[in-house]
Amino acid sequence: MTPLAMPPVAIGPLAPVLIVLGAAGLVLLLDLLPRPVGRELIATVALAGLVGALLATLARWGKPGRAFQDMLVLDDFALFANVVICYAAALVVMLSIDYLGRNGPETGEYYALVLFSTGGMMLLAAAGDLIVLFLALELMSLSLYVLAGLFKRELAASEASMKYFILGAFATSFLLYGIALIYGATGTTNLDRIAAAAAGRAHDPLLVIGLGLLLVGFGFKISSVPFHMWAPDVYQGAPTSVTALIATGSKAAALAALIRVLVTALRGSQPDWAVLLWVVAAITMTVGNVVAIAQSNLKRLLAYSSIAHVGYMLIGVVAGGSAGPGAVLFYLLTYAFTTAGAFGVLTLCERAQAEAVEVGDYAGLARRHPVLAAALGLFLLSLVGIPPLAGFVGKFYLFAAAVRAGYLWLAVIGVVNSALAAYYYLRVVVFMYMREPEGAGARLVPSFAGGLALAIALIGIVLLGVIPAPFADLAQAAVAPLLR
Amino acid sequence: MTHAAFLVIAALAVASALGLVLRRNAIHGALFLVVNLGSVAALYLTLGAEFLAAVQVIVYAGAIMVLFVFAIMVLIPGKEETGLDPRRGWRLLALPVGALLALQLLLVVRAGVGPVAPAAAVPGGVEAVARLLFTRYLLPFELTSVLLLAAMVGVLLLARRRV
Amino acid sequence: MSTVWLIPALPLAGALLNIFFGKLIGRRAHWVAVPAVACAFLASCVAFARVWHGGSFTSSLFTWIVAGDFEASVIAYVDPLTGVMLLVVTGVGALIHLYSAGYMHDDAGYARYFAYLNLFVFSMVMLVLAGDFLVLYVFWEAVGLCSYLLIGFWYTRPAAAQAGKKAFIVNRVGDFGFGLGIMWLWTAVGALDYPTVFKSVATLAPPTATGIALLLFMGACGKSAQLPLHTWLPDAMEGPTPVSALIHAATMVTAGVYMVARSHALFERSGTALEVVAWVGVATAVFAATIGLVQTDIKRVLAYSTVSQLGYMFAAVGVGAYAAGIFHLVTHAFFKALLFLGAGSVIHGTGGEQDLRRMGGLSSRMVTTTITTTVGGLGLAGVPGLAGFFSKDEILAAVYHANRAMWALLLLGAFCTAFYTGRMLFLAFYSGPRMSKEAAHHVHESPPVMTLPLWILALLTVVTGVALGAPSDAGTRFARFLAGVFPIHEAPHGGSVAFMLMVLSVVVVAAGITLAWFMYMSTPVRPEAIGRPRTLVHAFLLNAWYVDRLYDAAIVRPLLALSGYLARAFDLGLIDGIVNGLGRAVVGWAAALRRVQTGYVVNYALTMLAGVVLFLAFLLSR
Repeated sequence: MTPLAMPPVAIGPLAPVLIVLGAAGLVLLLDLLPRPVGRELIATVALAGLVGALLATLARWGKPGRAFQDMLVLDDFALFANVVICYAAALVVMLSIDYLGRNGPETGEYYALVLFSTGGMMLLAAAGDLIVLFLALELMSLSLYVLAGLFKRELAASEASMKYFILGAFATSFLLYGIALIYGATGTTNLDRIAAAAAGRAHDPLLVIGLGLLLVGFGFKISSVPFHMWAPDVYQGAPTSVTALIATGSKAAALAALIRVLVTALRGSQPDWAVLLWVVAAITMTVGNVVAIAQSNLKRLLAYSSIAHVGYMLIGVVAGGSAGPGAVLFYLLTYAFTTAGAFGVLTLCERAQAEAVEVGDYAGLARRHPVLAAALGLFLLSLVGIPPLAGFVGKFYLFAAAVRAGYLWLAVIGVVNSALAAYYYLRVVVFMYMREPEGAGARLVPSFAGGLALAIALIGIVLLGVIPAPFADLAQAAVAPLLR
Repeated sequence: MTHAAFLVIAALAVASALGLVLRRNAIHGALFLVVNLGSVAALYLTLGAEFLAAVQVIVYAGAIMVLFVFAIMVLIPGKEETGLDPRRGWRLLALPVGALLALQLLLVVRAGVGPVAPAAAVPGGVEAVARLLFTRYLLPFELTSVLLLAAMVGVLLLARRRV
Repeated sequence: MSTVWLIPALPLAGALLNIFFGKLIGRRAHWVAVPAVACAFLASCVAFARVWHGGSFTSSLFTWIVAGDFEASVIAYVDPLTGVMLLVVTGVGALIHLYSAGYMHDDAGYARYFAYLNLFVFSMVMLVLAGDFLVLYVFWEAVGLCSYLLIGFWYTRPAAAQAGKKAFIVNRVGDFGFGLGIMWLWTAVGALDYPTVFKSVATLAPPTATGIALLLFMGACGKSAQLPLHTWLPDAMEGPTPVSALIHAATMVTAGVYMVARSHALFERSGTALEVVAWVGVATAVFAATIGLVQTDIKRVLAYSTVSQLGYMFAAVGVGAYAAGIFHLVTHAFFKALLFLGAGSVIHGTGGEQDLRRMGGLSSRMVTTTITTTVGGLGLAGVPGLAGFFSKDEILAAVYHANRAMWALLLLGAFCTAFYTGRMLFLAFYSGPRMSKEAAHHVHESPPVMTLPLWILALLTVVTGVALGAPSDAGTRFARFLAGVFPIHEAPHGGSVAFMLMVLSVVVVAAGITLAWFMYMSTPVRPEAIGRPRTLVHAFLLNAWYVDRLYDAAIVRPLLALSGYLARAFDLGLIDGIVNGLGRAVVGWAAALRRVQTGYVVNYALTMLAGVVLFLAFLLSR
């Protein structure tokens, strides 16, 4: 038996993920201690892990690394996505502390699963191989399935979790089948080698079907039409903090992975996927915005809004070049802050022994809690895309990229949709500022960590709106390694 | 010869999968699943992947299926509690839509699939698999362990009676 | 490394600090606000030094969005004109900030006040620094907003809230024209940055130039309170007095003059527009001066005098004497800020008294205030030697050479100015005391933090004229300094004509003050006789020519009636029908789509399967 030649193991590029997963292990251990430790301590450990990962990620900026035979590609693109993911996860952890204490079980496993999921997201954005991509996707999703069903006593939560799980497995099977077909066509699962093997064979049926099935799997994860139907039910049923994680982190990771696969491995098929995604983008934003108008539940409303925003981001994917994906990265950053903030406000509100999730609950909020109402108002205005908030700049970059790539009509559809969207966002603002509540409306539950998270998110959307240029430049630069 | 073997085994796999989906009785379904897993294992064998075939039989058809059957027999499934689906009729659409998918795939196969890249020659021995797992696929291998840990934690969380 | 960015950044930082940490900072707000503006003044001096010998430079302040070859950025454009404006805004601004620390010291909204004040300085500095019309417009609106916030600062007083609203609405009317003008400019020229625009105005057809210039001037009328949009300024006196000094006398209201002077190339392309500017200026100067003759509220006297003096500036730029107009802007900033601060000191010292009829005899109790305010008043009246004399004389000379009728009217205005200034000074400080014994007992001089700015401004009023405005054959020093910006159209100095003009204006000023002395000093004043309309003319002036009532009857009421009618007849039926129809269509569609969302996993999976089939069909068909 020949001795096993262990390949060199480069821990460096894996460090951010290892920190997160290590923190997850530590959280599990703390939870096992015979005398229960406070949930604040556990949350603090989780937060420290995420902040550590964030710092480790930032420290590697500009120093791309590949490890494990190119299975892990921690280039600037992955680093940028990881920053978004870490920020989103950190905000979610901060929002969770008091929210969970009020509504759900006080368990360490919650934070462990959040960290596992975050680790999966970070790996997903850095996956250079379809196998790692699949495993990372599963790590992320599996944790989220469980987290969605955390509030077991509520029927809606269990139902949401179950739906998410079954449909997720359904979608994943397509993804896996797509991976298998691409492997069959090219003999490799490495993204760069797929690109090399697929060159000039854009119309190989195996490859084409593989591409289609990959798009189906990703379409589910980013909740683009027609694979979006799980989103409203899950967003509504899941604990609000988990919803925030699903809407921000998992979306950012899946979009980053989608862009990496399309732009590197499948760049030869660009004419095919660009046209397909053109249609998907147009339908996704339209369906998301139109259905959102009819919603009275704020979580469902934000779910449809997030579907619509995926439509906007797909515009950037379609536009391609360096401007398109760069615009998507920047949008992800703004979107993470805005959406985490909006859901964050929901976690801080409650009405008599229940969560305040109906739009009507927020009537007159401006009079009762002016600061909170102003915060939610700003987040919603940023989602509408009002200058000088982050949402406007993000949309501007996306639409500008589309116009310059020659997709004028797609940009027009995007602009029309933004106008349409203003209706339902502003309706919430109208409720907060101009209506009186019927009965007792939502009231604020003070939370230091939650308030801090909201403050960070607010500073984020104002900063990104007022001085976007440096961040947008970073996002543009981050795309460069993909386009070699 | 291999062609004929493939056809027989594949037909068995598809038939058992259909049986699994169509039977109302859960135990029957489980038994169909055993047949299905077994026939897939046989397919692995015809491809020369002995190790995979053995693992498939031992882990899936053996251990996991026993658990399934136990679970089904212990937890007697209750009636549906959610009421009738207002769009029940739509479910019949699954047939034509599924048929369409099958047709598409068939057309593709008929049109001739391009050259299938030769898979990396893997002698299906334990040693070869182990060698790969610890060298080339080290990261996925380790990642799987994290995935399993997360799954375990999640299941415990959902199954715990407290709360 | 340019330090220009510090000029706006410091006040902005001060404003943000006081807005967000106002509760924490509380009574120490001035420790943030005053140094911020003072340092901005120092930075302005640095910028000024760079343009001292003429020339100009640009400095990128802030890049907002860059996408490919598109760039949205804010570029500061600094030339001698900008330099002068920066010094005035930050210099006078710093003095008024300092003064406010004393004047507002026990106001409940101390931090909020300084936050607004800093925000105003920031906006005004940006307005002056702007290198293109878009940025100019943004900060044009921003100073309007700050003015609104500060007029309505005591928002619990109905009069203050009402005045704030009025200022906002009247300014919006002007800004509407201003915005249209900028849009037209953009379509006509294809660019908005100053160098490109002013280079290409020569290619504009004169009617186009006239249209654009007049629309821009409409904005200037609103901001600088010229006829017919002057009505907001007297009401704006409801704000705190230092605010009146800073915004409604020294800086913001001069934005219109600055804008016209800055765009002189455009206005010159259309001679008509320039003529309109001149006539509006002359009309306003005389009109407001006549109203000032009869006012009884010390701040309203000053307010109408501001409107009138702004008219002089417009008259100057309208006849092409840009440097003279800007010079008057500078000297006016000094002596009018001084007068307002002096009036504030009087109000502060008498416990909130603003009515001239209940003042008098303050000269013995408030020596510093009396001396400095008198200096400011003489400056305003145009007494030889002081700043106002030189700058006003410069304007009169320039107008004399352009149009005799205008000159005669302005001379009449000068007479009125001298009269009402003298009247105000005599009634407030020198005539016998008319307040109650108890009130008189409490009169006290203001603290040094308030009198120091008074002394500095009085000094500036004395020296600026002699130092910068002494006429010579080559124009004033001030005009020579601005020669790189403006063509020199100054009237030829020297010679018998100029001397005659000067003598004439001195005589007119002396006559005005003497008449005031006869009416209010030589005989004891009967307070009940002042402010009572005795003749029709008097009533006409007291009611400010009935302009407000005219607007109310001719515009406001018909508009309300019309909008009421439209709301009933048109809106409900037609517009609502269209909008609701559209809305219903979308909502109906939304409801239909929502029904697809049944909640059943099987249906969702079926949809996904259909999606798979569609995806593959599409990809395979290509």
